[in-house]
Amino acid sequence: MYKDPSYFIQGVLDNNRLTLARTITLIESTLQTHQDIARNVISELLPHTGKAVRLGITGVPGAGKSTFIESFGNMLTGRGYRVAVLAIDPSSTRSGGSILGDKTRMEKLAINDMAFIRPSPSGGSLGGVARKTRETMLLCEAAGFDVIIVETVGVGQSETTVASMVDFFMVLQISGAGDELQGIKKGVLEVADAIVVNKADGDNVTRAKLAKKQYETALHLVTPSSPNWSPPVMTCSALEEIGLEEAWETIKQHKKIMSATGELDEKRKDQAMSWMWFLVKEGLENWFYNNEEIKKVLPTITAAVESGKKAPTRAADELVSVLGSDLLF
Amino acid sequence: MAQNPNYNEWVEMATKQMKGKSPDTLTWKSPEGIDVKCLYTAADIEGMDTVGSLPGMAPYTRGPMATMYAGRPWTIRQYAGFSTAKESNAFYRRNLAAGQKGLSVAFDLATHRGYDSDNPRVAGDIGKAGVAIDSIEDMKILFDGIPLDKMSVSMTMNGAVIPILGMWIAAAEESGVKQEQLNGTIQNDILKEYLTRNTYIYPPAPSMRIVSDIMAFASKNMPRYNTISISGYHIMEAGADSVLQTAFTLADGIEYVRAAIASGMDIDTFAPRLSFFFGIGMNFFMDIAMLRAARFLWHRSMQQFNPKNPKSSMLRTHCQTSGWSLTEQDPYNNIIRTTLEAMSATLGGTQSLHTNSYDEAVCLPTDFSARIARNTQIIIQEETHTCKVADPLGGSYYIEYLTNQIVEKAQEILDEIEEIGGMSKAIESGMPKMRIEESAARRQARIDQGSDVIVGVNKYRLENEKLDFDILEVPDSVRIEQIERIKEIKSTRNEAETQACLEAITKAAEGNGNLLEVAVAAAKARATVGEISDAMEKVFGRYVATTQCVSGAYSSEYSEANAESATVIEDFRKRTENFLEKTGRRPRILVTKMGQDGHDRGIKVVASSFADLGFDVDISPMFQTPDEAAKMAIENDVHIVGASSLAAGHKTLVPELIEKLKAQGAGEIGVVAGGVIPPSDYDFLYDNGCKAIFGPGTPITTSAGKVMDLLEAQYIK
Repeated sequence: MYKDPSYFIQGVLDNNRLTLARTITLIESTLQTHQDIARNVISELLPHTGKAVRLGITGVPGAGKSTFIESFGNMLTGRGYRVAVLAIDPSSTRSGGSILGDKTRMEKLAINDMAFIRPSPSGGSLGGVARKTRETMLLCEAAGFDVIIVETVGVGQSETTVASMVDFFMVLQISGAGDELQGIKKGVLEVADAIVVNKADGDNVTRAKLAKKQYETALHLVTPSSPNWSPPVMTCSALEEIGLEEAWETIKQHKKIMSATGELDEKRKDQAMSWMWFLVKEGLENWFYNNEEIKKVLPTITAAVESGKKAPTRAADELVSVLGSDLLF
Repeated sequence: MAQNPNYNEWVEMATKQMKGKSPDTLTWKSPEGIDVKCLYTAADIEGMDTVGSLPGMAPYTRGPMATMYAGRPWTIRQYAGFSTAKESNAFYRRNLAAGQKGLSVAFDLATHRGYDSDNPRVAGDIGKAGVAIDSIEDMKILFDGIPLDKMSVSMTMNGAVIPILGMWIAAAEESGVKQEQLNGTIQNDILKEYLTRNTYIYPPAPSMRIVSDIMAFASKNMPRYNTISISGYHIMEAGADSVLQTAFTLADGIEYVRAAIASGMDIDTFAPRLSFFFGIGMNFFMDIAMLRAARFLWHRSMQQFNPKNPKSSMLRTHCQTSGWSLTEQDPYNNIIRTTLEAMSATLGGTQSLHTNSYDEAVCLPTDFSARIARNTQIIIQEETHTCKVADPLGGSYYIEYLTNQIVEKAQEILDEIEEIGGMSKAIESGMPKMRIEESAARRQARIDQGSDVIVGVNKYRLENEKLDFDILEVPDSVRIEQIERIKEIKSTRNEAETQACLEAITKAAEGNGNLLEVAVAAAKARATVGEISDAMEKVFGRYVATTQCVSGAYSSEYSEANAESATVIEDFRKRTENFLEKTGRRPRILVTKMGQDGHDRGIKVVASSFADLGFDVDISPMFQTPDEAAKMAIENDVHIVGASSLAAGHKTLVPELIEKLKAQGAGEIGVVAGGVIPPSDYDFLYDNGCKAIFGPGTPITTSAGKVMDLLEAQYIK
């Protein structure tokens, strides 16, 4: 691994594919020494970020996310945009390993010189994914990509995490046997900027239209996140390349409105703030668990709570006070 | 019938022999999930509807012919194709002179995928796994001096069926043979290509239309021609057990029948000409039962279409011994394996058979190894007296029981597929592929931990493995010759006429014209395979497979076995975990297939089991060029690339990949290779920078261990 931050900084700014890839690896690394270099690199690159369209895409397995990105990405590069795709694949909780197969479904985009696709294993914690993806997004912006697509499979809390780092959050759905709404979480509807019903092709068109109506009804029941934007429901066929242009127009329209009202700036500021607070919480937590005193008393106190000898509130008080009461009260 | 009166006494005896343990503890669970007891009696097959029929009579469980081999033995049909049309032609003529009755043509991968030999994408594939055909001129050389009005010609072609069949018909006509005189079979089984072998060109819907076009054309013009050979062989080779092979093959068959009926054909005009192709592996009794079960099930499945002609529901099949069961280690053992599989196929009642050559796990067959393979069948036919009786195992309690079990289990899967809406829909859903891959990963785990024995591989290994037989190698000059001929044809043909014919193909693809009909004209106008394929691709597009990969199957087979095996996995996971702690990330490997070889069982088993061991595994799309694979390795920033090769392209593709990585400053990304690579090529690959080579039969824990050795040496100082 290279120790000099300027190797990474210059390489990213030159949009050198190899260096960009290595810088992402640096950011993803769990080693403290790598993290220290990474922090320098990000700080230096920060002034060069912020110009891209940040797009998040989620959907259940089988919704056709990769196929959508393949068609959508190639359409965008065809219009002269440079596209970066960051795909998050789940790691196995048992082995820790992962299968990163996104590019097998993005065959043309994978060899497109205007595109950069980086699949990443989710690794252990959600916080980890969030940090890595957010910073990788910044790298790609600094490298001059115009559109950054963050893809995540719709499980656990990963959608809301991704929604909190992008400008536009798209939920990809497919039509099924009329029970569409069971497969969508309320929390996802609340953060969606658009719902796109994919696979509206062949004998599926009618069902897709029906699903569209159901989502529209469902969306009326949630408060939109912006007074100036009601999330539309669209149908598309990534396979037959129908509805992709409309999706892009919607994203552009969203950006235009949000920029005009100043909401985009606000959103990004809010995201930066909540990101900072997230990191603070994470830092506090790490600090707590790594405190020698805590490590010493933790087993006794938890055992006492488990056996019912100590009330949880009392135990929590004692643990926190170990860190020094002046910090808390 | 009640249980044998002496049964209880037998149980007592057996228990005594087992030192007090019940004989039930000997029950073996087969890969199909069938509980195989150590004894079968009449009570086990009582009342089964699969028992009791006669050969030649519905439901044909005991064979499609009344006298079976007693009347006429199966046809010995060896599949072959070598580099150029000229060499293949010479080989065919030698075989015909030695008394062989039919021809079976193997094409190279470039031809399968509809590319001309001058296409840069296929530089590593020309003439490697079969004969290279670019135009009608090659086709004429291939059949030079062979009377096509008399000779039955079988062609293994699925992707580029339209140009190849068009050129064959046109070549025959130019030699004075009429369409109605042509006799033979084309594989034309596109559905299984999406499941396993990946030598398709277009998406499923237009591909199914091509199948129907060929059926329609032949039923009108070529009454003696078999338009499809529904193939389970490749499904088995991809890792399916015998129940899965039966179910998915028959489901494919039902789908073709529906497509033909939907295109307006009457069931009895085409169903009697449908033929099947099954693969026979080392599970000796199981595969005998499989063929019997498949015939029973096909008869039952066809009744829904109300055929009038009994032949419409009669399953006739070709069989081939398993190529996957052959080992690179101690390779003469393969002769014995092939013999046993041939016995299984013939006791099961196949109509024709191909026996593999012992050297096929290493290279293409030579004249010598091909002779041994052919003689295997001749010896069974002429020396063993096994042909004297029709269905000699009919009535065996065990065989009848197995037959019934396969029928029941395969029927469950067939019902499941019907519920999804037929095989095309099922393939779209990914269900069959996942089942096959899971079966493959489990098998690999059983082999790696020794519960499935392979002699010379995981038991009774030779101390010093030394290869002492000749290896057939295809020289690169083949590609140059082909390119020269394409140039010559293109410069001498009537260009305006060729272009008009190609446009007619595009028009037919857009509309409803019969594609084979226009392709015959284009072949005569000297259009190439690539040009004809492109003319259709304009309308249909080129299909890209989605690679799915199961996870967990490999390690679960291990931990189900015993605690000791489970530790192997745990220990390995600690090793990858340690790598993460020391270097900041898990070992990351890209597994890729370069060239036009679509056999992806190997990389999928590797991907799935490496992930189970704690690797992050990137999978590339199929059919990569070295350049594309290098881009992906760099972008994903992997530690190492594993390139799989099963079709003799390794000597070109692997060094080129290493070169491309170096050229882009990523020389630190190592490359290892696996698959069918002759040991005599190992030094060449090592000299060109390849870090390790894993031959067929390498246990996953061994290959993964070697990869970890390399990575630890490189990254943990």
